[in-house]
Amino acid sequence: MSSAQLEIQLIASLVAIACAIPGTFLVLRKMAMISDAISHSILPGIVIGFFITQDLNSPLLIVLAALTGVITVVLVEQIQKTGLVKEDTAIGLVFPALFSIGVIMIAKNANDVHLDVDAVLLGELAFAPFDRLLISGIDVGPKSLWIIGTILLITVGLLFAFFKELKLSTFDAGLAASLGFSPVAIHYGLMTVSSITTVGAFDAVGAILVVALMIAPAASAYLLTTDLKKMLFLSILFGVFSAISGYWVAHWLDASIAGSITTMLGLLFLVVYLFAPSKGLIAVMYREKQQKIEVSLLTFLLHLKNHNEENERHVNHLREHINWQKIRAKTVVDLALKNNMITIDNQIVSLTEKGDDFTSQAIDYIITNEDAQIEDMKDDFFLFRG
Amino acid sequence: MDLLEYIELVINDYTLRTITLGTAILGAVTGMLGSFAVLRKQSLLGDAISHAALPGIAIAFLLTGAKESNTLLLGALVSGLIGTFWIRGIITKTHLKSDTALGLILSLFFGFGMLLLTFIQKQPNANQAGLDKYLFGQAATLVESDVWLMAIVTGLCLFVLLLFWKEFKILLFDKDYAKTLGFNTKTIDILITSFIVLAIVLGLQTVGVVLMSAMLLAPAAAARQWTNNLSVMVFLAAFFGAFSGVFGTAISATQNNLSTGPVIVIVASVFVMFSFIFSPNRGLLFRQIRFIKNRRDLELHKTLSFMFNIAKTHENISHPHTIKILNNFQGYTKGTLKKLVDKNYVTLNGNMWSLTQEGFETASNLYNQQFKKDE
Repeated sequence: MSSAQLEIQLIASLVAIACAIPGTFLVLRKMAMISDAISHSILPGIVIGFFITQDLNSPLLIVLAALTGVITVVLVEQIQKTGLVKEDTAIGLVFPALFSIGVIMIAKNANDVHLDVDAVLLGELAFAPFDRLLISGIDVGPKSLWIIGTILLITVGLLFAFFKELKLSTFDAGLAASLGFSPVAIHYGLMTVSSITTVGAFDAVGAILVVALMIAPAASAYLLTTDLKKMLFLSILFGVFSAISGYWVAHWLDASIAGSITTMLGLLFLVVYLFAPSKGLIAVMYREKQQKIEVSLLTFLLHLKNHNEENERHVNHLREHINWQKIRAKTVVDLALKNNMITIDNQIVSLTEKGDDFTSQAIDYIITNEDAQIEDMKDDFFLFRG
Repeated sequence: MDLLEYIELVINDYTLRTITLGTAILGAVTGMLGSFAVLRKQSLLGDAISHAALPGIAIAFLLTGAKESNTLLLGALVSGLIGTFWIRGIITKTHLKSDTALGLILSLFFGFGMLLLTFIQKQPNANQAGLDKYLFGQAATLVESDVWLMAIVTGLCLFVLLLFWKEFKILLFDKDYAKTLGFNTKTIDILITSFIVLAIVLGLQTVGVVLMSAMLLAPAAAARQWTNNLSVMVFLAAFFGAFSGVFGTAISATQNNLSTGPVIVIVASVFVMFSFIFSPNRGLLFRQIRFIKNRRDLELHKTLSFMFNIAKTHENISHPHTIKILNNFQGYTKGTLKKLVDKNYVTLNGNMWSLTQEGFETASNLYNQQFKKDE
């Protein structure tokens, strides 16, 4: 592994961490699409900054671009405040307009300079190690490493300083406001950090793919935990893992590093989405199926409890009466038998004592909705776990 | 170049005619379907779908090795649909919210598409150049067959829209009611979503992935301001969309170095801004004017009721009072006094004023609703 390769992986990992931290809060605050809007609308800021400084890595460029990001947020909020359109429409109107302005500015003025839309949107991590930062003639490492390192340091500093404020205002904005933390200040603080991170990362991974690094690790982590600290830790872990594995996939395929990092993020999310315990797709579908069977069981038991006549309790009649398919009826009857809730005597079904007890308890719960009565049933039944 | 000359050029020049027609049709169809997206609060779906279509284009190219635009668009359609249904899966099956799902699918699909595109570029196949036109769109590459395709799809859209008009409408405004009436809401939902995806995919070649969402939203958002009627809104949105297409093409054709996509988006955004400000019912300007007018009326009422309270104490309601006693009352200005005179509620005599009979009656009924005269 050459030093350039090491540096690329280091930069990618730092970008991943710097994105994961604000990304977690954006996902929790239901503002994930704002990061997409910012990533597009910083383009005019970058273009103007570039015209002034003629240098894609100058700090002024970052400041101007971050400013455009914040302007986007303000514009979206102002449009939304008029009540003429919904928030998502406001987002969808603002960023393409700003982006178009950026594209037109490039087309009109930057014909002979090194700036094209692809460079801003897609970035090229592979070139990052060649742009060195020289301090009084001594090579101290790639420029983008320093930029993203500084941004990360600031982000982490802010995170530790304002962790409790962020946490509170994310989960209970009303309480935060009444305790005297200004939700507006925290909101704009977060927006500013997101803008700066987006800008700082754009020449490494490209502005659009910053969105992936912000949202995907946080979304994957959110499916695995409900603890904020764990979620932050997991998203950072996922981000770094995808950054490094993505680099090697790109190396192997000889393709865009940013693209393959995103693809790794996508695969990671897919795995978590399918297999996450209790919140993954498979777990959810299993739970829904169990609940469906248990509702059927309950219906069946209630029917038995309501009828004493033998002809109402005949196995064949049950199928007609509750209108179940053969297989479903068999599943339910088997389940009830296995749990000793019914006995079948000469094709006539009757409730056992246990089944009778169970049914009364379930009815009580459904009517009163008091949790205390069903504590002991929770272990056996998905239905009562909520 | 003046307008007539330009129109003549549009009619005679093949490229310009194709582009103008193409962008106009595209604007019309996206505006039409965009109305539904906006009203269903799925505004950003367009953004997500257009990004999600990218890997489909790349895979279609990898499989067929040809740059035939219909095949590529088919790939885009398939991958756009997969993205859309995955978004729905994420929203319904997990606790992730719609914004996260949209952003996730958008960026992940786009990143994967970029991976494939760069992978293709490294392949020893001379044919691959030009795939990235789908990123930013190049209206200049439109040919007549593309326009025909757009026209056919638009016709199909229009037909389905008219056929299922009442189903779409009821689904839009009251989904639960539609369900209880026995409509298969799921099928209708899928139908309209698929058409939105189709329209977006059609536009990729012209305005590109990034700006497609604005084509979907802007005409609809502008049209929404002018009407509360769905059919009028759909019609207006189609008109706005088509007009932004034509106008944007005209601007970019008469200037150097202007790609059509961004210009169309800017034109559409100007439409939106204009509508936000100047629409008669919802617009900001008229809203502000109404607000000021209401405030003035209130002030006027306040003055009148103050006068009424003074006049009430006298036997003769027209008993004159000096203007001076109004001075320590806030609602009074020379202007309001003049207005009251104009309305014949008050008569002025030197620096004395007195209520008329009509003014007295209006004032006594001011704060109970029986007096219904428009103030």
